[in-house]
Amino acid sequence: MYVLQQLLNGICQGSIYALMAIGYAMIYGIVGLVTFTYGEIIMMGSFSAFYYFMAFGDNLVLSLICGFATAALVGIVVHKVCYQRFLDAPRHISLICTIGMSMLIKNLAIIVFGSTMKGLPIFFEGKTLVLAEKTVEGFHQQLSLTYLQIVVIVTVIVLAIALSLFLNKTRTGVRLRAVSQDRKAAALVGVNVKNTTLLGNCIGCGFGGVAGILLGLYYNSIIPTMGGAAGMKAFSSVVIGGLSNIPGAALGGISIGVIENLGIAFIPNGSGYRDVFAFVFLIIALVIKPEGLFAKRGNNA
Amino acid sequence: MSVILESKNVSKHFGGIKAVNHVDMKIEKGDIFGIIGPNGAGKTTFFNVCSGTIPATEGQVYFKGELITGKSPAQIARRGLARTFQNIKLFNYMTVLENVKIGFHMHTSTNLFDAVLNNKKFKRDEEFAIEEGKKIIEKVGLLDYMDVQAGNLAYGVQRRVEIARALALNPDILLLDEPAAGMNPNETRDLLEFVKMLNNDGYTIAVIEHDMKFVMNLCKNIMVLNFGTKICEGDAEHVKNDPKVHEAYFGKGTTL
Amino acid sequence: MMEKIKAFLKKYQLIVLIVVGILFVVAPLIINGTVKKSNYVIDIMVRILFYIIFASSLNVINGYSGQFNIGHAGFMLIGSYTGALLATKLGMGGPWYWLAIPIAGLVTALAGLLVALPTLKLRGIYLAIVTLGFSEIIRIVAMNWTAVTNGPLGVKNIPKVWLFGISKTSSPLVMYYIVFAFVILCLYTTYKVINSRVGRAWMSIREDSAASMSLGVEVGKYKAINFMYGAFWAGIGGALMAVYYRFISADMFIVDEGFNVLAMVILGGQGTLVGPIIGAVMVNMITEFFRFADEFRLVFYAILIIMMMWMRPQGLAGASNSVLAGKQIKKNDKKKSKHAAKKERV
Repeated sequence: MYVLQQLLNGICQGSIYALMAIGYAMIYGIVGLVTFTYGEIIMMGSFSAFYYFMAFGDNLVLSLICGFATAALVGIVVHKVCYQRFLDAPRHISLICTIGMSMLIKNLAIIVFGSTMKGLPIFFEGKTLVLAEKTVEGFHQQLSLTYLQIVVIVTVIVLAIALSLFLNKTRTGVRLRAVSQDRKAAALVGVNVKNTTLLGNCIGCGFGGVAGILLGLYYNSIIPTMGGAAGMKAFSSVVIGGLSNIPGAALGGISIGVIENLGIAFIPNGSGYRDVFAFVFLIIALVIKPEGLFAKRGNNA
Repeated sequence: MSVILESKNVSKHFGGIKAVNHVDMKIEKGDIFGIIGPNGAGKTTFFNVCSGTIPATEGQVYFKGELITGKSPAQIARRGLARTFQNIKLFNYMTVLENVKIGFHMHTSTNLFDAVLNNKKFKRDEEFAIEEGKKIIEKVGLLDYMDVQAGNLAYGVQRRVEIARALALNPDILLLDEPAAGMNPNETRDLLEFVKMLNNDGYTIAVIEHDMKFVMNLCKNIMVLNFGTKICEGDAEHVKNDPKVHEAYFGKGTTL
Repeated sequence: MMEKIKAFLKKYQLIVLIVVGILFVVAPLIINGTVKKSNYVIDIMVRILFYIIFASSLNVINGYSGQFNIGHAGFMLIGSYTGALLATKLGMGGPWYWLAIPIAGLVTALAGLLVALPTLKLRGIYLAIVTLGFSEIIRIVAMNWTAVTNGPLGVKNIPKVWLFGISKTSSPLVMYYIVFAFVILCLYTTYKVINSRVGRAWMSIREDSAASMSLGVEVGKYKAINFMYGAFWAGIGGALMAVYYRFISADMFIVDEGFNVLAMVILGGQGTLVGPIIGAVMVNMITEFFRFADEFRLVFYAILIIMMMWMRPQGLAGASNSVLAGKQIKKNDKKKSKHAAKKERV
């Protein structure tokens, strides 16, 4: 039962990672560049929700929209500074530029928002849905999901489905997919590659922003330095899933969430090592199968 | 005459695409061997398999009698197989001499410690690289360009630099992938003479080319690939008149 | 004409090195005793010296072989902890520390090998992430493995080092010259290695590893050697740090510290000997200037890094004739149109 509960927690947490991973995979797929700024975009999303709540009260859905928009706006800036100019340059240049950008956003955030942790409002008062109960040797065990967890999972599923429909059924979605497959060919058939790339980047960032808010609600705290670990987990999920493979990235995210929770549960003093799990998993995955554990064809990367 | 490079039943598949399909080939020492075929026939892929750049899906490649399929490109290069690339892969930011010096890597053995200690081996290897490098550069007629950044040179000259660098390996066979590509007729003619001269000096040469005049004037033996399969083999006259070759290039129902 | 300019610049580099070198030799003597707070100034200069070693060793990895290591802090940590633990737990303090320093270097080189081996086939960004991960993991282990490393308390009371027989050699001034000697050694060996067959192999890997392989260069082996070399000097630097500050702990080696060193290499210049020196001096000067507000300092670095990528990707004194500079050499374009240029894959 305990294991099942941890598994459930892991899936829930993993779904937040999956959301981030989907966003990152979109950016990588469409822009074609790896970025270090994603963590900061996640962070900005969560802080925008914080200020939204302070200014406009506790509306969860609107705060998610606000987070999406803020992250997308920051994404525009990142795109103009770090990607647009370097699309055809050696990759390490844009990479270093994103390292600089990430430092910039993070430290500006520390200056403007303050370096202490902030809390987001508590929704659903910790109400839980009990799925199963059992009494073993006098210990009452429960398998449950908090309402918040349910909302998180539902949000991620909704967004994932929405994205899938958007990419497959709308003209813009088709354009996005075209650009992610072959920029030159897309240009030749009349797609405005420049704008489409920007759009793809912004959607990906928007997802990150929403994930940031969910993270903040889940842990009940946000801090300007949260970007580092978050970005790392997003990246790990995506790599494990096969870089521009969106469903794979989502799977990667969920698996990292599960491994983290199981790891903390079973390794003594585990929580200190929480962030290490993603790393170690990533390194092992890269060594075993450099194209990504869930990669399909493995030749986009 | 001994066979220096041989492929037996070599195939390379990329997913469902059979880029190279059961190709047998024998190149004799001292030969100038041509590989021709329409675009997409799998010529470069075949070269890549021979040089170890990509692994074969099926079949074996033998170099000087030794099985080399499955070895890394560096290992194969060390055994005396040198190649050039379709889109000239020079170290553009290095000078011509520096490019050639790297070709001597496997003929020298200075390691970290030798360099730091500035010992005899280090000094000897440095001198060797410079002296032999200059010799090769002189041989290919590029002495004037020795200290010029490779990327700044004219295309025809760059190709020669790439060949010079390959010669630094002191190879037993030289694989040239579309050496005349992008050259004007004058440059092509010069290249033709140059390759002939190399062959006279004892280098076995295999050439992939599109330029028919170039191949027919240069090569003693020719192999024709189409859609990954060998469709003809023989000397220039034979290949010129083969109906299958006509069909591959011009389609059915044409006469020459 | 180009050759004349190049020769001038090369000579100029040498002059800069000599001038800076003389400055570093002479300045402390002048400062000591004349300037108030002379120890503080000398302390800053020693810090610059340490960073010259760190930046230079990182530059060998990133600038010369074109690999992407952003976790150099991990190697620095291993070097300093090895030295510190050898001194405190195995009694290798005092004059025995001279032996501990090279041991620390070798242990770190081994760590470099362990990081390089599984990543030899990985492309740039993956290697970068793995190095970052390694650096974090090592720090977390050092922080938590209390039995060996004392956990978050760090290692303190590291015995001073002294030369055999001469007892008064642990003053800041003498330590300065000891570190300076190591810096000279580091720069000299790097200079020799770069201008040898090994260095050429590294640079060929950086410029075009496929071509390099086709010329018989065992790319994997040389990448590993490169990592080990860079790690070795980071380890030496770390061991020297341990005996200079006489206290080390895991939070001296957080990821930001690795970024610090990376910034020095990026800003000062990759792929040249002088670049990291300039970077180390520059970044430390900036740090001193921004003493009052740490976050602004980092904002400033960040802007500098971005600007540098926009204007001069190879860094101030970086190798202009290398892929690091990002410019495409203009080939005869009409002839190239048949053959689409293959993009550099990081």
